[in-house]
Amino acid sequence: MSDDREMKLRATSIKNNPFVDVAAHLFLEDIADKQGAAGMNTYLMSLATSLAKSMPEEEYDTWDAFLEALRAGDSILSTFETVFTPTENCVVTITNPFERGWTEYTKRIGKLSRIHTDVADYYNSTVKPGAIDTSCIIHQTFRNAAADRISVNGKRVKCAQIATIHSDGSKKIAPDEWLPILLEKAGITQTQLNMFMRNNAIVWCVYTE
Amino acid sequence: MLDVALVSLIQDMSEKAGVEGTIQYWFRVGESLANRMGREAYMGWPSFNVALREGRTAFSIEGKVIALTDLAITDVDGDVVGYIYAIEECVFVPTILRVRYSVGDVPRADQAVAEEYNNSIRDTAVCNFCVIHQKFREEVAKNITVADQLLESYQLANRGFTGETKIAEEPLKKLGINPEYVRSLLRNYACVYAMVMKGARLRGEEVEE
Repeated sequence: MSDDREMKLRATSIKNNPFVDVAAHLFLEDIADKQGAAGMNTYLMSLATSLAKSMPEEEYDTWDAFLEALRAGDSILSTFETVFTPTENCVVTITNPFERGWTEYTKRIGKLSRIHTDVADYYNSTVKPGAIDTSCIIHQTFRNAAADRISVNGKRVKCAQIATIHSDGSKKIAPDEWLPILLEKAGITQTQLNMFMRNNAIVWCVYTE
Repeated sequence: MLDVALVSLIQDMSEKAGVEGTIQYWFRVGESLANRMGREAYMGWPSFNVALREGRTAFSIEGKVIALTDLAITDVDGDVVGYIYAIEECVFVPTILRVRYSVGDVPRADQAVAEEYNNSIRDTAVCNFCVIHQKFREEVAKNITVADQLLESYQLANRGFTGETKIAEEPLKKLGINPEYVRSLLRNYACVYAMVMKGARLRGEEVEE
């Protein structure tokens, strides 16, 4: 497929549809009303995992080929987000793929329901400390499950969350005891992390073991 | 990404709670969305139609809504009691395209939910999203007054992603509109509905009497 055609197809597919995004938030709230934060968390993780599993597996001969696919949006890991790779292991998401939904919700309904952050608190204390709201749980779980479907030179790809900046400006950075290890894996310094966080949405890293 | 995850959730939900359960979820979300968007009051049809054109009404969340002002609905006395409105593109189409280019195909539950709705509630759904979409519109109408009269929404016709159409004969008869005329509107529009003052004495009802 030519680049032009592919770009046109993708442009068509990313048209705005606020109704669906806002409805999705309310759908999650309705589930949370019935199942509470714990049940909701389990539901979101299971949903994100099954979404990743429904997508085709990937294999690359070299790390460079994988990074090229990642940057071009051809990899399952960058299907929903536009990324750049400042180092061979660091990935930066420019805009949070959930931002449009959040913007439409706050514009049309009002302040995001507290249940979205309550569930994130539950996730942070029981699973992994990295979420600001429910969208982060879906996103981070999806990314981990998606990475598991990619192999580079026969080795499974792993990914780890370093920092996220929510649409409202709030931030969640990996705990102090984890951060040096993650920065080393990503090949960036703390100062560079702060620079990326200034005008991007998420900083994460990819690697193989 | 959230909308693609939502489609995955529909499949998961339908497997766990059945398609009837998904319909009930959608109904609650439609009601909740409409109620949380608040009430609106307009002095008359011109002010409502201008607000709609400028995207200021709750209905505007559905995207660009076109007021077909040449299609006024009149009551038995010949007074204008409503209009026909149309949406150029189904709000679910961008999501279907995103699913198509990220996952591969839309889950079976999409059509299963629509079929259950058509069999048990009303034969007007071409996809699962019609369920919330139509419920939302019904509920929003209850929160809007035009010239101090509450509104009522009637789903008239819609066209799905793959070209299948639904024409709601009963409300068309009630409003005194030829179904073939509405069918021809589907060439240009994906969804056609009417907003009518609640309690208006419609021409079609008088013929039935």
